[in-house]
Amino acid sequence: MLSALERELVDMIVETCRCAESPPADPSPDAPLIGPESPFGLDSLDAVEIVVAVQRKYHTRIDSQETSRKVLRSLRTLAEFIQNHRK
Amino acid sequence: MTPSFPHRQSAHCESGVCANLLTHHGLSLSEAMTFGIGSGLFFAYFPFVRINHLPLTTFRSAPGRILRQVAKRLGVGVTFRTFRDAGKGMAELDRLLAEGVPVGAQTGVYWLPYFPPALRFHFNAHNLVVYGKEGDSYRISDPVIAEPVLCGAVDLERARFARGPLAPNGKLFFLTNVPKRIDPVPAIREAIREVCRLMTRIPIPLIGVRGMRYLAGRMESWPSRLGERKALLHLGNVIRMQEEVGTGGGGFRFIYAAFLQEAAAVLDEHGLLDFSKRMTTIGDHWRDFAVAGARLCKGRPQGNDDFPALARIVRECADAEHGFFRELDSLVRSRG
Repeated sequence: MLSALERELVDMIVETCRCAESPPADPSPDAPLIGPESPFGLDSLDAVEIVVAVQRKYHTRIDSQETSRKVLRSLRTLAEFIQNHRK
Repeated sequence: MTPSFPHRQSAHCESGVCANLLTHHGLSLSEAMTFGIGSGLFFAYFPFVRINHLPLTTFRSAPGRILRQVAKRLGVGVTFRTFRDAGKGMAELDRLLAEGVPVGAQTGVYWLPYFPPALRFHFNAHNLVVYGKEGDSYRISDPVIAEPVLCGAVDLERARFARGPLAPNGKLFFLTNVPKRIDPVPAIREAIREVCRLMTRIPIPLIGVRGMRYLAGRMESWPSRLGERKALLHLGNVIRMQEEVGTGGGGFRFIYAAFLQEAAAVLDEHGLLDFSKRMTTIGDHWRDFAVAGARLCKGRPQGNDDFPALARIVRECADAEHGFFRELDSLVRSRG
């Protein structure tokens, strides 16, 4: 079951990356966000766009201190990062 | 008993390994400070050097150089060893571990079984620390992984002796003669001046800001010279070098900004805080390039997303970095 923020992130990811195939209705919050097991079919180039989209929408910067590798592990880790860093 | 090692996750493997090894020996340095003292920031575009059939673009100094520069500037001894024979290479690792020495190792990422599939690719200059052995497995502090991991001997041997570009040849390294105290001030000043020199004053058009402008020119001609499919492959490779491969994003510019922020406090030089903010802005502009390039590569361009527009952003980054490093050099020189 996704939280409200996780659901919002699903919408943002689908819009940003224009996912060709619709993701599952209720993706697991712990499923890998990037890579072959991603329910969204995202790769590392999509990750760059997501990092910037998060920065613009939530005013939280993912940079060397909080690497995108760590933050973009799953919907849950991304949502936790935003909650902890939102200005 | 499990040996202890101060594992910290980091953005970039070499500076992370270096910082963790120094911390183990009692010199607690952040990843950013290690990256800065090692003069890790760089840029070069070598169209004639191919890795995975694509030209080499690098936003950081050559593998191994950060560790060597940090050791030299802080007066730390570091020993490197390479091996032709895998058996001898593993035996030497076991001997050092038996003496309680945490050992750095260069490896091929693709062969490390604990790496998530999404992060596995053929890159042979990945650094990690081996700090213990349990049965037939090694205890590993891999700085890009959240927690220490165990890795089987067969897998580690395969990773240490991976073949291909940047083949590690079983390379091991460990610190010796680590001083109890260091004076980071001269090390920081010397390191900043070296980066300023490399970025603005090397008379080779492939290096520093001149290299960025050269890349911009080549980028504009990729579609006509290479065709669209290959042009996008070349572009995607530049973006991956900038935003992946342990960069922390922004082509290592964000790590360098964090270093300048720390250096401002150590040197009591508040002017460096402005430089830190400027470097973050430059990293953001590199990220603008990456985002526009990623959209183009993924077949969803917006507005002006095309090769000339991308080349324009790279030239803007080059101009910004040219001014930045000249002024930074003046500031550091003026303070002796």
